[in-house]
Amino acid sequence: METKNIRVFFSKTGRAIYISHLDLYRLFQRSIKRSKLPVWETEGFNPHVYITFALPLALGTAGICESLDLKLTEEICREELISRFNDALPRDIRVTDAAEPVMKPTEIALSEYEARFECDNAAFAEFLSSEHIMTEKKTKRGIAELDLKEHLSILGQSDGYLRFTFPSGTEFNINAGLLFDAFEKQTGTEIYTLRITRTAIKCRNGENFH
Amino acid sequence: MTYKDKLDRILLKVQKPSRYIGGELNSVEKDPAKVTMRFAFCFPDTYDIGMSHLGMKILYSLINEVPGYWCERVYMPLPDMEEQMRKNDILLYGLESLQPIKDADFIGFTLQYELSFSNILAMLDLAGLPVYAKDRPDLTPIVCAGGPCVCNAEPIADFVDLCILGEGEEVNLELMRLLEQCKAEGTDKHEFLVRAAKIEGIYVPSLYEIEYNDDCTIKSITPSEGAPCKVRKRIIKDFDRVFYPETFVVPFSEIVHDRAVVEVLRGCIRGCRFCQAGYLYRPFREKTVETIEKETISLCESTGYDEVSLTSLSTSDHSEIERMLGTLANYSDAARVNLSLPSLRIDSFSKELVDRIKSVRKSGLTFAPEAGTQRLRDVINKNITEENVMNSCRIAFEGGYNAVKLYFMLGLPTETMEDIDGIADLCQKIIDLFYSIENRPKGGIKISVSLSTFIPKPFTPFQFEPQPTEDVIRERQKHLMEVVNKKRVTVSRSHFDVTHLEAALARGDRRLSAVIYAAWKKGCKLDGWTEYYKYDKWMEAFKECGIDPAFYVNRPRSYDEIMPWDHMDVLLTKEFLIRENMQAHEARPTPNCRKACAGCGVNKCVGRPCFDYS
Repeated sequence: METKNIRVFFSKTGRAIYISHLDLYRLFQRSIKRSKLPVWETEGFNPHVYITFALPLALGTAGICESLDLKLTEEICREELISRFNDALPRDIRVTDAAEPVMKPTEIALSEYEARFECDNAAFAEFLSSEHIMTEKKTKRGIAELDLKEHLSILGQSDGYLRFTFPSGTEFNINAGLLFDAFEKQTGTEIYTLRITRTAIKCRNGENFH
Repeated sequence: MTYKDKLDRILLKVQKPSRYIGGELNSVEKDPAKVTMRFAFCFPDTYDIGMSHLGMKILYSLINEVPGYWCERVYMPLPDMEEQMRKNDILLYGLESLQPIKDADFIGFTLQYELSFSNILAMLDLAGLPVYAKDRPDLTPIVCAGGPCVCNAEPIADFVDLCILGEGEEVNLELMRLLEQCKAEGTDKHEFLVRAAKIEGIYVPSLYEIEYNDDCTIKSITPSEGAPCKVRKRIIKDFDRVFYPETFVVPFSEIVHDRAVVEVLRGCIRGCRFCQAGYLYRPFREKTVETIEKETISLCESTGYDEVSLTSLSTSDHSEIERMLGTLANYSDAARVNLSLPSLRIDSFSKELVDRIKSVRKSGLTFAPEAGTQRLRDVINKNITEENVMNSCRIAFEGGYNAVKLYFMLGLPTETMEDIDGIADLCQKIIDLFYSIENRPKGGIKISVSLSTFIPKPFTPFQFEPQPTEDVIRERQKHLMEVVNKKRVTVSRSHFDVTHLEAALARGDRRLSAVIYAAWKKGCKLDGWTEYYKYDKWMEAFKECGIDPAFYVNRPRSYDEIMPWDHMDVLLTKEFLIRENMQAHEARPTPNCRKACAGCGVNKCVGRPCFDYS
């Protein structure tokens, strides 16, 4: 059967930020079934809709440029695809665009984040300007020491606001929340109502993943 | 700060946060400014369990179809979430509005099992409300309870304002309209309750006075303020046209029964004498194949589920089961949806059915002979024979199955060690049968025996019976372990601790409210969860209240004793239950309702015979 690859872009905000990656996968499977879109299904004993996500989003982080890839078995126009998806999805997950994929997920290098929060602003500024921000990161091989500062680029900063990038991708990935966990741990103070949104996913060539 | 903001502060600190935030597909949000009645529908257990419950899905949709009425879902948070809520001053809230339920008009609990009783107190407390009904003088929120356990609501009588007996599809809305009217008139809570008690199916415990004899049995039950002597259970007469939701809320996370569910019939014709559901849900009523098909398609299409389960107490008793399966198969094959059929009876187990289930998913098969000997099966009126069991197993083995799960009950009335030996013998016969089949599946046979303990329940012919004592139960469990073929059979047993409490609560009276309160004060909640269940605390609570659980659990009750639930009318006569109890002791079975009317009394309500016997 002739199929056409499509990359579907979506946002995951509001109440939906608490949906885990595994649950998001099941959610899209069901939504596609509901939408009756002509999406290619795997063959075999337990057929299921074939979808792959470019880059998982951490639980609790919102995203406005998330994407998944699927195969269409029939030609369908972009507008109809988007609207049929949105009719089938819960409110806080919205499909924003769909197009033929250009880049491979393996080309992803970093994610851009925007964080809004309430905390001791002076302490946070001092924390950010320190030479090292050491933290522990869980890896497949156990817990490793990691200097967040080494991987952090700050794009914008004011009281209770931070725009920054962290490495992302299949090889190496840093959860944006780690930065704020490290602050709480180091200073012994609390951050209130932290809201992090992934605003862009960038490839090694500097372009947005698309 | 809004509740959403507060929740955003804590949700990443708890396990599986998506179950505490709502916003799922098909969940109903309404404009609070246009809402006149808010109903906080509480399932007194966790989200994963409560979200699987069909009755709640039905009533949720039903209420939300009414403009201005808003039904929200509320579940019991696990301890990690409760701790965060308490630390951050978050009261128990509805998943739709994320607003505290103490501001709702109704807080309704569905009581599916006795071990959820302590969760009522835990949830009311977490909602910021006094747990005793007498300490809530305001008209709203009205705390009510429904579900099978309210056929004997006495143990929780002090906590709830009213109970809804029977099927809620009609009476819930009548009750909401009454409260709406009372709110408009500015009446007080007492006046509302007096008026509510006049609605058929509504039980207001505070309007009944209970007098006890010196031996603590009940002397009299006296209604006041015009409340009926007997509260009559509500039933839906035209079951084929009863409201059924076109869609379900689809959870983000996986829940216990994560699939579409269509109710194909209500009631049961079998009359197994230990089974409360088989008596409570009478009369037997079924949906037409056309209705079932329509509801199946609608649910699958609106939820995106790829599995649909046909549910009831005994699905194979549908008068048109073959045509139903054929019709549904046409849809399910085309739509790539799996059909699953729980609760099939052994004697209805045909080759066609095996093939149908197999084409869906090959897993083990489960049978419920319930007792090891024919004599005891006759006592409990489980009208199946060893031949039925063997035939079904043969069909299953020839169809490629090599795992069988068998349900048995221990501690049944008149049971002796011979009956326990019978369980082991039956297992051995099934093993021998397996090896006698030439084209048997590869690998050996595995039998898992699930051995529960008999719990006498109200409104069954066994409501008069004692549960055997701990020593007897343990001895019989031990005996089975000694005589069963350990190589092929694994036995799982129910814990005595749990069945003991369930037995006490099931046939308890109003004096147990004090025990439940004391146990809750000692930290008892989530009693259905092994990791949270505190048997010793419960026993302490009984002791402190000066109540011996054996009074409720191990004491035979005479036919003329006034039962704590005698002022409930579930449309069965007490004479019928006594007659069935006598037959049980003579090991005489009663034919199923389709073959002959057993005279339970429910047909008086239907106004005609339940089946055409001509």
